[in-house]
Amino acid sequence: MMWHVSILSVGLTMLVCGADLAQPSDDAHREHAEPTARVESVPAVREMGKIGAWIAAAEHGQTVVVPAGLYREHVRITKPISLVADGRVVIDGGGRGDIVEITAPDVTLRGFTIRNTGIDLDRENAAVRAVAPRVTIESNTLEDVLFGIDLRESPDSVVRGNVIGGKPLDIARRGDGLRLWRCDRTLVEGNTIHDGRDAILWYSTGVIVRRNVGHDCRYGLHLMFSDDVTIADNQFTRNSVGIYLMYSTGVELTGNRLIRNRGPSGYGIGLKETDRFSVRNNLIVGNRTGVYIDGSPFTDRQPGEFTGNTLAYNDVGMMFLPSARGNELTENNFIDNIDQIAVAGRGSLEANRFWKGDRGNFWSDYTGYDANADGVGDFVHESHTLFENLMDREPSLRLFLFSPAQQAIEFVGRAVPAVRPEPKFVDEVPLMRPVLVACADSAQPAPVVALAASAFGLITLGGAVLALSGALGSAGLRSQPPRPSASGVVAAAEEVDA
Amino acid sequence: MIRIEHVTKKFGRTVAVDDACLTLPPGDSVALWGANGAGKTTLIRCVLGLLRFRGRIHVGGLDVRRSGKAARLLIGYVPQELGFYDDLGVAEAVRFFGRLKGLRSTDAEASLAGVGLTGHESKRIRELSGGMKQRLALAIALLGDPAVLVLDEVTASLDAVGRAEFVSMLRGLSGSGRTMLFASHRVEEVATLAERVAVLDRGRIDRVVPCRDFVASLGHGAVLHLVLPAHVRERAMLSLKAGGFTPRMNGVGVLVPVSSEQKAGPFRVLAEASIRVDDFELVALDHGMNASEPRVSNRHAKEQRS
Amino acid sequence: MTTIASWAPVERKSAVAKPPSFARNVLTVSRRELRDAVRSRWFLLYTLAFAVLGLAVSFVSAAGGGGVGLSGFGRTTAGLINLVLLVVPLMALTAGSASIASDRERGMLAYLLAQPLSRTEVLLGKYVGLACSLLASLSLGLGVCAGVLAWRGLATHPASVLWLAALSFALALGMLSLGMLISVLARRASVAVGTAIFVWLALVFVTDLAIMAGAIALRLRIEELLALSLANPLQVFKMWSLHAVDASLDVLGPAGLYATEEFGRTLHAIFGACLAVWIVLPLVVASVVFSRRSPL
Repeated sequence: MMWHVSILSVGLTMLVCGADLAQPSDDAHREHAEPTARVESVPAVREMGKIGAWIAAAEHGQTVVVPAGLYREHVRITKPISLVADGRVVIDGGGRGDIVEITAPDVTLRGFTIRNTGIDLDRENAAVRAVAPRVTIESNTLEDVLFGIDLRESPDSVVRGNVIGGKPLDIARRGDGLRLWRCDRTLVEGNTIHDGRDAILWYSTGVIVRRNVGHDCRYGLHLMFSDDVTIADNQFTRNSVGIYLMYSTGVELTGNRLIRNRGPSGYGIGLKETDRFSVRNNLIVGNRTGVYIDGSPFTDRQPGEFTGNTLAYNDVGMMFLPSARGNELTENNFIDNIDQIAVAGRGSLEANRFWKGDRGNFWSDYTGYDANADGVGDFVHESHTLFENLMDREPSLRLFLFSPAQQAIEFVGRAVPAVRPEPKFVDEVPLMRPVLVACADSAQPAPVVALAASAFGLITLGGAVLALSGALGSAGLRSQPPRPSASGVVAAAEEVDA
Repeated sequence: MIRIEHVTKKFGRTVAVDDACLTLPPGDSVALWGANGAGKTTLIRCVLGLLRFRGRIHVGGLDVRRSGKAARLLIGYVPQELGFYDDLGVAEAVRFFGRLKGLRSTDAEASLAGVGLTGHESKRIRELSGGMKQRLALAIALLGDPAVLVLDEVTASLDAVGRAEFVSMLRGLSGSGRTMLFASHRVEEVATLAERVAVLDRGRIDRVVPCRDFVASLGHGAVLHLVLPAHVRERAMLSLKAGGFTPRMNGVGVLVPVSSEQKAGPFRVLAEASIRVDDFELVALDHGMNASEPRVSNRHAKEQRS
Repeated sequence: MTTIASWAPVERKSAVAKPPSFARNVLTVSRRELRDAVRSRWFLLYTLAFAVLGLAVSFVSAAGGGGVGLSGFGRTTAGLINLVLLVVPLMALTAGSASIASDRERGMLAYLLAQPLSRTEVLLGKYVGLACSLLASLSLGLGVCAGVLAWRGLATHPASVLWLAALSFALALGMLSLGMLISVLARRASVAVGTAIFVWLALVFVTDLAIMAGAIALRLRIEELLALSLANPLQVFKMWSLHAVDASLDVLGPAGLYATEEFGRTLHAIFGACLAVWIVLPLVVASVVFSRRSPL
């Protein structure tokens, strides 16, 4: 793989470390110490245009090592070289335009801090833009950028280990943290993208997206017309939507964690007209809708496979649009989703299967038992709660969740066959225990001490009120035995009378 | 000390108190006399500011409606029956009301000793007998040494012995300069405690007479108090009148003044009329306010059948 | 009849000059009321029921997690919210409704009011006393519950338990206020308690079901639905708890999302104001009625 050419093999290293630059004059310092919001920790301030000059001086295949410092310039890499930061190298775009533009193939950009792009959405101001194949963008930190890494027709590229942080703008005025346009066979690995708009793949086939983290964006990962993509072991938290697949074919989703993606649509995973996909061993927790399926699988070439996923505490575990047919769910854990399986509108789930052979799913609301201890419930799992049924029809009724009225309705639904809705779906072999969760929640330590402290506080408060009432202290008064006093009455009466 | 001016109280269409006027100078003791429903309790509740009414009532110069709290501070009140937190200890109750009366500290033991409840301090109220409860109520009423005592049929739920004891206790209190207003339908109580008697009839104060005159009007030697079921009282009145007696009705029966030689006369008359007497008491009356306590006689004949 | 001119007030040597202050009387009455309430078997019953049911709910919720070590978003808390919605209003409404009416029936009220006390002092004193007993009951119940959860190492966020305790108390205050109003209006204790239970049923079930039916039949808009449910203090409590614990109402679907987006940070203030109205208004009305009407 040519982008793995080691920089050590590069023959000539161009070192620029003149004494005049290492110890800048007072004038130069003053010139660059213009007011800026950031606390500067860079040891030296460099003159403008320096990196450009070094690139101009470099030859094809060379590695340009840029010494630590702050560079206020816009860099164009026009020849196949490696540009490597030595220490903390900050390239500041000054809030204007793009910052690094790569127009030549086989370029490596490694270890820079690139920040402060323009905010022009029409011009799509980007921290790093490549328009040539086989670029490697690695271990850079992108801060305060509109678009982060924007690859246009750059197949066979590598985007690895970058941290991409967007500008603190409204979601509508942000740019994409990562965008691939016609970048077949690209590897996107180990990046962290936050506070951007989307990480999006357009028309890119054979891309691998793994071990990335995306949080507080709009779409954690968005595929458009991108086929044969592998998405593995990523984590998407607090985005509007975790992973959204559109019009793509041949997608594997494995071992991803989709947690608390709760935007207006709020899908953990959304599939729209996606074909030949498998969704395996993902952890989908606390999203508005765990998995949203619209028109997928798109053809009947291959059933949509959902296996070994854990869907827990989502408002809706899986939401099927009426157009969703041909999905097979096996060995998934459905744990305390308020609505485990929902059908939008008045659709039916008939064309989807909730068990296969002897493999069903685990349903936390399963009420049956397992007398023969084979791990499979003795009764089929049928889902029909009246309130879910009402909610599917009238979503605004969710407002009454967790109220006794909801329970009253469900009780009526169970007790009165006349209003009992048809079962939404049937799992004939429900599992008694959840299947092993591939990637358990990165357990925040259970706040036992704090909980105990609050328990203690509450009990103390209650005790204090009781003590205030004196209810506890009255025992002594009560224990004194009453004395017979019939004679006393008369005596006292006489005393008063006298 | 108490000034009642043109007080009218209606419950719906029923007039309970009708244009009542009554003034008690300090140290005065007035009994409200009348049958049940004559408006005694209602008037007392107006004095306590418990009811809304037309007219004006001042206690110690304070309007009971506008400054009821201050006015009630001058009043010690004993109800017909002490209804209170049953679970409360006796001494606790005294201290509680002491606080409500603005006393900094209450010597509960001393108060209770004053009414002969020494030794019952740690009992609960519900463990007390009726008479003891009334004495507790009296102890509470006397907290803070109020200038006015208001008593509402305080002996009505006591038996004869309890009644006698309680009245004697109250007598010990009169003459201490306290103003006393009390409702009663027992002659001996009125005779013992009142200086004047306000006779109420269907809400109106019929007349206010000195106690001596009132007692005299009832008869000479003694008053026979006959306890009769309500439905036969009217008939008994007619029979007795026909038999030459001058009966009066009160809350539980009929009072018949009798001379010493014809004490059994009313029984004969009633027996002839087939009227059953549930219980009776014979109260001998001394004329004048220096009377010793009324002699209660013959409380053994529980039931006299016709 | 004695002439008015002869009348003159007499200063008694030991008479107390001034009646005790408002605050002192309220305090005296409330302490007595608190003591009486705490000693009653209802207090023990409710406290125990609350703790036991709370624990049951917590363990059932935890068991629903299938033991996979996932800490859900306040699943336990959601169960506890439901429990509070059922038990706390019942507790507070019956306690409040029994207070004045049963005193009246026992003749205790007349006796108390014959003392140098104003009616507002009696009402407020009883309110404060009962409120303190409810506070004790709730904090003991939830405290025991939280203690056992901590001991068993079940994941429940302490902040949510504390929020729940505080909001339950606020709800209890409102329901107590309503109960006292019922108590002041009713002539008999049995009628008062019966009315309280009817009101409880109405708030817990009937109102919500009616709004739901209305939402389906009349095609209510989301904001109308939200406004209607804000009229029910129980719904306010529920939404506030969810908002406090989860920092978002979007779990309640479109209406919740609308609330979050439209009001955002002011939601705390809105919910607080709604509950405050439920606390203050019935109590003020009760106080006015109690002062103007004959209390006996």
